[in-house]
Amino acid sequence: MKRTIDFCQKNLALVLLVTAGAIFSATTANFFTLTNILNILNQNAYTIIAMCGVALIMIGGDLDMSVGYHMSICGVLCAMMLTRTAIPVPVVVALTVLLSVAAATLTTFLTELLAIPRIFVTIGEATLFQGCAYVITNSKTISNLPAAFKNIAQGALGHPSLTYATLIMAVFVAAMSFTLSHTYFGRHVFSMGGNLTAARLAGINTRRMKYIIGILVGFFLGVAAVILIGRTGAAAANTAAGVEINILTGILLGGVSIRGGEGKISNCVAGILLVALISNGMQLAGWNPYYQYIAKGVIMLCALGFDMFQMRRRSVMNNQRKEEIVKTAAREG
Amino acid sequence: MPILEVANITKRYPGVTALDDVSMSFERGEIHALMGENGAGKSTLVKIIAGAESADDGEVIVGGKAFRGMTPLDAKRAGISVIYQELNLAPSLSVAENLFIGKRVGNSRVRPDFGEMNRRAAEVLRELGSNVKPETLVFELSASQQQLVEIGKALVDNCKVLIMDEPSAAIAVAEVENMFRVVRQMRDRGVAVIYISHRIDEVFELCGRVSILRDGQYIATERTEGLSRRGLIRHMVGRELSETFPRRAARVGEAALEAVGLTGNGDFNINLTVRRGEVLGLAGLVGAGRAEFAKMVCGDVRPASGELRVNGRVRRFGSVADALAEGVGLIPEDRKREGLFMDFAIDWNIPSMSFKRLSRFGIVSQKKAEALTDRYVDALRIKTPSTRQAARNLSGGNQQKVVVARTLAAEADILIFDEPTRGIDVGSKQEIYSLMNGLAESGSAIIMITSDMEELLGMSDRVAVMYEGRVTGELTRGEFSQQRALELASGYTA
Repeated sequence: MKRTIDFCQKNLALVLLVTAGAIFSATTANFFTLTNILNILNQNAYTIIAMCGVALIMIGGDLDMSVGYHMSICGVLCAMMLTRTAIPVPVVVALTVLLSVAAATLTTFLTELLAIPRIFVTIGEATLFQGCAYVITNSKTISNLPAAFKNIAQGALGHPSLTYATLIMAVFVAAMSFTLSHTYFGRHVFSMGGNLTAARLAGINTRRMKYIIGILVGFFLGVAAVILIGRTGAAAANTAAGVEINILTGILLGGVSIRGGEGKISNCVAGILLVALISNGMQLAGWNPYYQYIAKGVIMLCALGFDMFQMRRRSVMNNQRKEEIVKTAAREG
Repeated sequence: MPILEVANITKRYPGVTALDDVSMSFERGEIHALMGENGAGKSTLVKIIAGAESADDGEVIVGGKAFRGMTPLDAKRAGISVIYQELNLAPSLSVAENLFIGKRVGNSRVRPDFGEMNRRAAEVLRELGSNVKPETLVFELSASQQQLVEIGKALVDNCKVLIMDEPSAAIAVAEVENMFRVVRQMRDRGVAVIYISHRIDEVFELCGRVSILRDGQYIATERTEGLSRRGLIRHMVGRELSETFPRRAARVGEAALEAVGLTGNGDFNINLTVRRGEVLGLAGLVGAGRAEFAKMVCGDVRPASGELRVNGRVRRFGSVADALAEGVGLIPEDRKREGLFMDFAIDWNIPSMSFKRLSRFGIVSQKKAEALTDRYVDALRIKTPSTRQAARNLSGGNQQKVVVARTLAAEADILIFDEPTRGIDVGSKQEIYSLMNGLAESGSAIIMITSDMEELLGMSDRVAVMYEGRVTGELTRGEFSQQRALELASGYTA
């Protein structure tokens, strides 16, 4: 029993996701079908890919609030290159990802230059990117993207709903999961989130690590932008606006601490899907979009509360353990 | 009648009984030491007396008035002031503003009368025998001057009981005497000073009585006159300890690390050599540039000029990793902030400097990491039921051993120990000393930065003293004396 509770608390997002899934399956006829599940994954592939980057940042002890507009401007630039130039599709995709990496590297550079937390730099950048995106698109949506490009996200393999987008996401999730838990790079990321000064004095080149993390984030956000506009077939200045809140909520529900140093990618995926299911449920129920904002805000605050609760719970358990340890040590002399 | 009594105080935290039926009393005009190993319950008792925590049972009696569930405001009104280790000052405000923070000075409800404030502050400072000006901003003050401002705050509050939590830990040796003087002055004014310290010598020098806690239980109150060091230690650890500084049978060999004209990070032209098998003590005031020197040697900060020779060869370290590769490792001063990953397990902390070395194609071998952990947990006798425990759960002494273990696990053999025994209990101190001896005997070179005079003279083969970023003198074993080291540390070189 104790172990079950422990498991539920550690994997809250997964448990809630399964519960929500079960409720939908019981109440909706077509929910628990392969096609529907694959559709949900397809719709959320881009958020989950972006999440891989954001989770990396958060585990390393930073926060990024520019995700939505970062992806939007990448999407817009990509769409413009596709529709207004003759650059071949694969080159456009590569350029988009490169631009995204460049933007994220700029963020890291500014963070290091000003010696302030990434969150503040990215709050500034979000507005900057937003403005740029509106200026270059003249507030118009760019559509009519070439079929070859849309195929990158929409093409399917084996099952009509098993899209490339989903497959790419699965590969990234597996790679990130492995990297974080098994490589020294992953351990160094956790170390930085756990205690940045101690990490530096332990011989981890924290400055270089921050640049590497920034490059990876840029990569994931660039790919996510390509997948997003490939799936919808259009790009606008506000295409991905506000997506960072969904991602942040999903990651927090997935058990990554806002203070960094802990977290598991698989739980973050569950967290993102949970947020997606809830929004989807609200849409299906025909809620006024403004109420949806209210609900999302409440869920986000609950996720923060959950993070706090986890910390408190740990400190109580720590006290109990500490007494045991001190007693044992005293007995052994 | 005692000014302050605690009667049958019991305090339980989830899973821990921090204080178990503790009673003791404190008199007007005495300096009363409160001692005990880490986790003995000293800080919990202080928190209860200050009203920051409420006891589950028992009462606090101040000046004959009994309190149950005292609030911080009750405590303040009753005349209890606490000076915690982390000082509670606003750094960008002036000394006077800090002294009268939260108080109305002058007649206006809106704007304090700054002239009046400065006059009254000057009075308080004069009473404390300080020449600090009331207009000085607090961040410009040294650690001990800041402490003095805290004492001044207590004076302004007209305190009857002054509790000081390890006041000598944060300030330099030469400044300790000055602090003692002020504390004695408070005593002479009739204040009951409760003095918490790990340093046995200063307790004997300063305090009239000493009360000892162990594992949340009250053990004894003794007059320091007529009490032996041995007796005190026995009360604290519950058993006899062998001599404080174990002997070392190390052969001093070749120079392992030489700093030649090393300049940068606030230090100027440092020339120091440490040999294999040797412990070089580095003394000086806080802010004398010792930690800054350590940061340059361990690769964290690049020197502006001068050179470092490791095993006779000139080396330039671009990062801590570079220094580690040459066997130079720092055991930082503040283990919680700079050394440990508090929420991570021991089997993460110990290999944390070695993950790269423990991996192939970037993949860390968990098996090797665990083997490395087990080896050092055994070798350093780190007491824990499992290596899966978070570092936070260990006692201070064991945490310190984990920090040492991770540097040793990274195969460092030129070691800089920065304040290796700060805030850890007597038993653990001894183990750290034996460990350092063992390392020296096996050919490691050790630089030990310490503000603990006993430790400096007891452990070092040679002592170098720093003052304002310069080395002001070196003493060999024959020339050691507290007096001489203090003179050099205050810039007196004649």
